[in-house]
Parts: sequence; C-alpha cells; structure tokens
Amino acid sequence: MAAQGSRIDDTTLIREAQRGNRAAFEVLVRHYDQSVLRLALHLTGSEADAQDIHQDAFLKAYKNLGSFRFECSFYTWIYRIVTNLCLDHLRKRNVRKEDAPVAVDGSGEEYSLLDQVADARAGANPERDLMRRELGSKISAALSKLTPRERMVFELKHYHGLKLRTVGEMLNTTEETAKNTLFRATQKLRSALSEMR
Amino acid sequence: MKCDWVQDNLIFYVYNELEDDARYEVEQHLARCPECAAELKATRKFHATLSQEPVIEPSPNLLAASRMRLQEALETTAQGGFWQRLIFDPGAWLRQVRMAPALVAAIFIVGFGGGIGATYNFMKSQPITDVSQLGPAPNTPAPVNASTITGIQSITQQPGSDQVDIKFNTLSTQEAHGSLNDQNIQQLLLFAARNNFNPGVRMDAVDQLTHAPNDTNVREVLMYSLQNDTNPGVRLKALDGLSSFVRQDVRVRDAVLLALVNDGNLGVRNQALHLVEPLKADSGVRSVLTKLSQSDQNASIRSQARAMLAQVPEMD
Repeated sequence: MAAQGSRIDDTTLIREAQRGNRAAFEVLVRHYDQSVLRLALHLTGSEADAQDIHQDAFLKAYKNLGSFRFECSFYTWIYRIVTNLCLDHLRKRNVRKEDAPVAVDGSGEEYSLLDQVADARAGANPERDLMRRELGSKISAALSKLTPRERMVFELKHYHGLKLRTVGEMLNTTEETAKNTLFRATQKLRSALSEMR
Repeated sequence: MKCDWVQDNLIFYVYNELEDDARYEVEQHLARCPECAAELKATRKFHATLSQEPVIEPSPNLLAASRMRLQEALETTAQGGFWQRLIFDPGAWLRQVRMAPALVAAIFIVGFGGGIGATYNFMKSQPITDVSQLGPAPNTPAPVNASTITGIQSITQQPGSDQVDIKFNTLSTQEAHGSLNDQNIQQLLLFAARNNFNPGVRMDAVDQLTHAPNDTNVREVLMYSLQNDTNPGVRLKALDGLSSFVRQDVRVRDAVLLALVNDGNLGVRNQALHLVEPLKADSGVRSVLTKLSQSDQNASIRSQARAMLAQVPEMD
C-alpha cells in the first residue's frame, strides 16, 4: 500500500520540491513551522527574533534542499538547521549581555520580558503574578549562566521533550555527549537556583 | 559507591533517559536508600520548578505573519542548482507518487448522501507504447493525439536509415469507486483539488472534501486551496469547508485571516471577514481588524472592520 494515511508524506513532498515545485515545499514547511516557531519563541523570548529564525531556517532549507539525500528524516534535518541558528542567536546574545531583555517593575525588581510573552492574562491575581515573575526572572537568570550548547540541550530536552539521541543528532554529536551536556547544564541550574533563595 | 552512581543518574531517571536495566537498578536502590530517595525528591522538585515556565504556542498572528514573510522571500529565492519548473507536470508527479494498485481498477465514483455522481480524470502512465503499434506504415507519421502524450521516453535513429523509434507515454483515463471514508478516494480528491487544470473539477473536489470526515489532512488541503487556488470560486468553496473549524483550530483561523488580508477577490475577503466575526474579541483577530480599519485599500473592508472593533470593548 503506497500511502499510509492521507497526509502527503514528506518523502513525496521533498522529491517534488527538489524538482522545483514550490507549492510542495510550502506544504512541507507547514508540517513543521509551528513547532519551529514554538522552539524559537521560547528560546529567544522575542517574537521578532523567533520570526527571523523561522525565516532563516526555511530559506536555508529551500536553498539546500538539493543536497538532502534522505540520510536522516527531514524533521532531524530542519531541526539541525534551526538548532544552529538558535545557537548563533545565543552566542550573539552572550556577547551583548547589556541588551538582555529585562525590565523593572513597580517595586524596582528586574524581571525578564520573557514573562510578558508567557503571561497573556495578567491582572487576575497580582500577588501570584509577582511571584511568577520573580520565579520567571530567577529561571531566566539561571538559564543565562549556561553556555549556548548547554542551553540548547536543556531547551530541547526539558521544554520540548526530545530524546537525548535526537538532541545529539540535531547538534551533530553523539547521544553520550548530549547526556554529559545535560548533566552539566542541570548541575549549573540547580546551584544557580539554590543560590538565589 | 553505589550511591554516587545512582545520584549521578537521577537526572536521567527523571527525564526518562535511562536504559531499562539501569532504570531497574536505580529503582531497586531507591527502595533501600533514604538518602538517594531524598535526592530524587530534590531532583524532581528542580524539574518541577523549571517546568513552571510553560512553553506557549505562537499566536495565530505570529504564525500567519511568519508564513507570509516566508512566502514573499521564497518568491525571490532561487533553489540552488535546480531547474525552476514553471508548469507543474501532473503525469510526472504521479509517476513518483506510487499509488496503490487498487486505484488502477476501473470503476465509478458514486455519490455520497446526495447521490452526486462524478468522474475524475485520473492520469496514469501506461507501459511504453511503440509507435509501430499505432501507425500503419513507418513512413507516415503516426496519428497520435498530442494531448494524450505525457512524455517522450526516448528517440533512437535506426542506423543507416531515416527511420526513428520514439518511445512515449500516454494518458489513460481510469475511474475509481468508493465512499469519502475511503483513503484512496480521499487521495484522488486531494490530488484533484490541488492539481487539476480545470477549475470546475477542482471546485467539485473541494466541494466533496467539505463533506469528508473530520480529518486534519482534508483541512490542510482546504487551507492550501484557500491560499493558492487561482480561481476565486474554488477559494470560496474552501472557505465554506473551513468555516466550522475556525473556532477550534488555530491554523484554520490564521489561514482565514491571511485570506482576509491578502486575497485578491473582494468576495473571498468579505466571506473571510464574516467567518472571523465571532472571534472579534480575540486579540490576534483584533490586531488584524485594527490594521484593516486603518490602512486597507478597500473602503467597505475598512468600515466593516471598524464596525466590528466598535462592538468589542477594549480588553487587557
């Protein structure tokens, strides 16, 4: 039986796109773009940055689709591209630490603008919101202590539930390396959070 | 020593990354060791703390805007090293999509519920046909109907003569029979909706698909038709089919919003506007309405958008 389920499968779409069919590429994009955007948005905390990563990733995929030889799934391939773009973003951000997206609230406390993105319905419970913002800023501060690779591995594992073997593939490394990176990342995060109490 | 090993692996245990045998050993140890059990509790607490910042879905607006931006960029981007095809060749596409043998059988498509009968031109490459099978004499050109040719396979000149052998593939019309629940029928309808040159057939396909069982793939094709079909009648049909999903499916909502903003046909835009009206309190929809009310080219769209916004009080 040729078709498993009625969704046109990636292989068909990729071959078609490789022949120059842009419509096929656009359907292929739609299989993945929402989760790519979700990842970029959570990692960067900025809609504009997330959009840039989305754009760059799929344009890169489009330009290089000719070299895709089905040696891995398209899922892994596109996420490899996205992960690298995210790493670039994190490295640039590390260099410009003074541009970190924080703001100051009424009580003079700094909080991460990530919370603005996360909390769309503020105002219902001010005390809880303040606590959430404090926790949010603690988490952001702890995450910023990680190296870009540690941050990336943690993001993919903790926030997006990917298996470490997959994370390794996306970072072009082994599962063992991804495991060690996760270990270091969580050690750093735990000590950073306990220091903040 | 065992405690060290267990404690080093607790984080992988919590993330469910241990192999089965390692997991078993950890669990056995935890049952006997209160120290490690306490450490597990702390590790789980850490995990829970970090999970308090949930991952939010991108808003429909953000998704729609990102897609639009990408579409524009793709238009000006060339694919590296590949011949850009201007005309989509369905015959060749089909050769690559290996359809099930069942589809090759010749039967009729029957109506569903309403007794609507239709036949679809299903193009399939026949095995190679020799020219000599068609024409009576080698010197006279074979009376081949050019419109049924899907491709020329090869042209070989017989050495020392003016005779040429041409192998070519032709169209053959097939028919398929089944209900809307049948995967093969769905495949054909999806193909027709997307690829048929005749807008009437595309419209029929989209119409049938709007009655198809609640299926995300059908929804995807309807969204595709809404955004890409060149015929406004087909796009309106697709909008019809998507109307019941606008509330529950964020992707449908953003496809309709895209049509509202982008479509070249005023009828389609009006219908899209009508479909998002029940959602006018949604912030994503509101921001699109605001933009339309301020800067849309069309006066009627501007005033309708303004009227909708006026009905919703400003919410934070």
